[in-house]
Amino acid sequence: MANSEADKLFKEFKIQSVSEFFRRNAAMLGYTGKLRSFTTLIHEAVTNSLDACEEAGILPYVRVEIEELDTEHYKIIVEDNGPGIPEKFIAHVFGKMLAGTKAHRNIQSRGQQGIGISGAVMFAQITSGKATRVITSTGGEEIIEAWVGIDVEKNEGKIFKKIKHSNPTGWRGTRIEMEVKDVRYIRSKQGPYWYLKLTAIVNPHAHIEFIEPDGKLIVFSRSSEEVPEPPEEMKPHPKGIMTDDIYRMTKRTTRTTVRTFLIGEFSRISDKKIDELVQYITALRLIKGEEEQSVKEQLLKRLVNGEVDKIIASFGKSGKKVLREVRKIMEKPPRKLTWHEAEEIVEAFKYMTFLAPPTHGLRPIGDENIEKGLTGILRPEFVTAVTRAPKVYRGGIPFQVEVGLAFGGELSSGLDLLRYANRVPLLFDAGSCVITSAARNIDWKRYRVDDVDRTPLALLVNVVSVHVPYTSTGKQSVASEEEIYEEIRLAVMEVARRLAKYLGGKHRKLYQVKRRKTFEKYVPEVSRALSILTGISEGEIEEMLVTIIEKKFESIEEQAVGAESNA
Amino acid sequence: MLKREKPKERFSYDPKKVLQQLERFGKKVLEEIAAGRNPFIDVPTRGLSNVYFDERDRLIKMGDKTSRRYLFHVAHARKFMQTLLIAAYIKRLVGEGKHASLREAYYANKHTILGSKENTFEDQSESDPVIEDLERMFGVLREEMHITADRRGYIYGNVVIRDGEDEFNASKLGMGGWAVPGTVEHIEFPEINVDYVLVVETAAMADRLIEEKYPKKEKALVVATQGQASRGVRRLIHRLHYEEGLPIIVFTDGDPYGWYIYSTIKQGSINLAYLSEKLATPEAKFVGMAMDDIRKYGLENVTEKLKGIPPNKKGGPTGDYKRIIEEMNYPWFQSKEWQRQLKLALKWGVRIEQQALANKSLEFVAKEYLPEKIGKEELLP
Repeated sequence: MANSEADKLFKEFKIQSVSEFFRRNAAMLGYTGKLRSFTTLIHEAVTNSLDACEEAGILPYVRVEIEELDTEHYKIIVEDNGPGIPEKFIAHVFGKMLAGTKAHRNIQSRGQQGIGISGAVMFAQITSGKATRVITSTGGEEIIEAWVGIDVEKNEGKIFKKIKHSNPTGWRGTRIEMEVKDVRYIRSKQGPYWYLKLTAIVNPHAHIEFIEPDGKLIVFSRSSEEVPEPPEEMKPHPKGIMTDDIYRMTKRTTRTTVRTFLIGEFSRISDKKIDELVQYITALRLIKGEEEQSVKEQLLKRLVNGEVDKIIASFGKSGKKVLREVRKIMEKPPRKLTWHEAEEIVEAFKYMTFLAPPTHGLRPIGDENIEKGLTGILRPEFVTAVTRAPKVYRGGIPFQVEVGLAFGGELSSGLDLLRYANRVPLLFDAGSCVITSAARNIDWKRYRVDDVDRTPLALLVNVVSVHVPYTSTGKQSVASEEEIYEEIRLAVMEVARRLAKYLGGKHRKLYQVKRRKTFEKYVPEVSRALSILTGISEGEIEEMLVTIIEKKFESIEEQAVGAESNA
Repeated sequence: MLKREKPKERFSYDPKKVLQQLERFGKKVLEEIAAGRNPFIDVPTRGLSNVYFDERDRLIKMGDKTSRRYLFHVAHARKFMQTLLIAAYIKRLVGEGKHASLREAYYANKHTILGSKENTFEDQSESDPVIEDLERMFGVLREEMHITADRRGYIYGNVVIRDGEDEFNASKLGMGGWAVPGTVEHIEFPEINVDYVLVVETAAMADRLIEEKYPKKEKALVVATQGQASRGVRRLIHRLHYEEGLPIIVFTDGDPYGWYIYSTIKQGSINLAYLSEKLATPEAKFVGMAMDDIRKYGLENVTEKLKGIPPNKKGGPTGDYKRIIEEMNYPWFQSKEWQRQLKLALKWGVRIEQQALANKSLEFVAKEYLPEKIGKEELLP
């Protein structure tokens, strides 16, 4: 079972040549600085494990171990119970840049550039000169132990040594061991510990164990038994596409004409839309040929209003001629599409209207799972989460925002902002992130949080999208797209309102308890004094006073219940 | 000549009255509790807003505003408890015939409330106002509730005083006279051989008069207040006037402070407005020092400059000037004579002390100044 799944998965490998590229651009890929490099290594390995488990429908068990061999010299061991890697793919998985299963697909995923684990192998090889040891089994007869490295010249995964062991217990999973240098383990909010903690929160279905260099074992237990469904591939929407995307796709497609290529590889494009596209491209060509600037502008305005037919007709014969030329583009093989023509298509898309993109491919964590994750890992007193409906930014890229909020309990004072993109914790570049700016914009005082710096709060924000707009290739902060900013703000306000309601009820209750205590405290004193003044026994007076208090608070509670059910 | 008049009030001290009031108060609270209601006490409001000058009686009096204090009210509970605690304490005190000072009352009632870190009273500033509240509620002096005030002041003159089991003549106790105790409620005067009471601000002046045998020669009872008159002294003056019919004549320095001493003896004070009827003596008269005395007795060389900035100077009026202008606005200083004195003080910018009279001679005050002014009844109202 697992075997066939794994085979299917790895069929989709495609090879791109960028080994050299890594050597020159290590920093861009997250390998910058001693702490960040360490976190990136852990991220690549853990993401690999979680993705593999998810796609195979397995409840993940991931164990991360860090051994300190020397100063700035560590051994990283990551083991999972995933589907395992078939023998013939081992070199590909660990040795090829952009060899991931998703790089070329329009799919929501944890890692997006596909440099993934092979980048980690590369980093190990560059810093320590050692190959990465991989032990894996798909649960079949044998366990494979291999030492993997990268042939930088040939851009190929290279297996230096391979041993086959029998697998009597039917073990399934993958264990990788890599030696790295020039990194430093620090238990900070940007280090591996915090990364794993944040990962555990948004993956409540995963059991994560972590052994720190000093031997300390940390367990982030599973709090949900539900494996999230793997994301579905989504065809790109014409509104969210760029010239480069179309151009690249034409080089890969198996379709025979531009027309069938556009219909087949994009969402919301029909045969009729292609005819419309031809008209718009024609109109744009004609308008561009116009010399008078004011006429040009007027025509473009009319185009926006959808008067494409009239515009072409107004050019008479030359209009018909251009129309014929453009029609020909649609019938030629996609490979022949020029950069300029691709540009024309993208421009025309901007003037056309399309159905909103499908959102079935988005995989939010879900408010229930966020609540479970926050509860399981942070042990707060109050937790709430909201998953907003999918929205579109830049006119065609679907995205979705999720926000969770935890308060009190074992949380420490101050607001912890936990940023995620597609479930991946973002630990760096917080300042430039739209999540930070949107969350900062909230006036917490309005939500019964008088002093944010002294209130134990954790705010989780996850931006889900097929294409998260990162500010840089480091992929540590989300760009400030207006629609995303607004969705985050609305979601945070929603959870903040819930917190305010909770705190309101809590304050009310606490207030009543305090009030009652105040009264009860004075009862013996008052009784004794009244007894001296009147000669009635202390006990008798005390009893009467206690009865009054009982009665008073009964009626207050009734009122409170009544008010809440009315609301 | 000033002579003793017919008394208007009778010796009225009766500890049973206070006890009855306390019991009535306790019963009222208990009734509310027994009826299952939130018990409360009504306390006359303190402060200027509840004080007015009664033109007819010529007294500063307390208004009829009260505030209600509930036991089961977060803001009132503690005060309610404290009021009852002190009330019960006073009941025991009066019942046992013991007296306690304000500080003793504070310590006697201070203890930690069971099951909390809170004390019944954290500070004497919490217990003092509660005692004042009880005075206001019951219309009795705290001295009547056996809580004594600070003692200050003494008397000298041919009167016989009965203080509990002791009886003595206040002119036969030596030059120091008889020190007025904190509580004078129980003091009785079996024999009065004087024509009037001379209230003197400074002890030095009182001692001068005693040495010059003024009390004997002029048949006067000298009362030294030693600054602002204490409650005991004020009560004593009140009783000497109303119960023994003695005219009251006040002799202070000629400055705003001295005139204010006269003002409190005569009309009562804002702080103790609720006790004016027991402490104040509106019929008291003022002999000096007055501004007119400076010219009349040629004392120009022994005046002192007023302190502070005059009203016509930048930043003024402050200090003595400010005080004089305030006094000019008092309803009881509205008479032509008083306005004249105060205006003169402002105009000249000077004050004149009692002891400045020594400039003439030591005997001058006892042999000429006072006998002459009092004899001719050259007194200010």
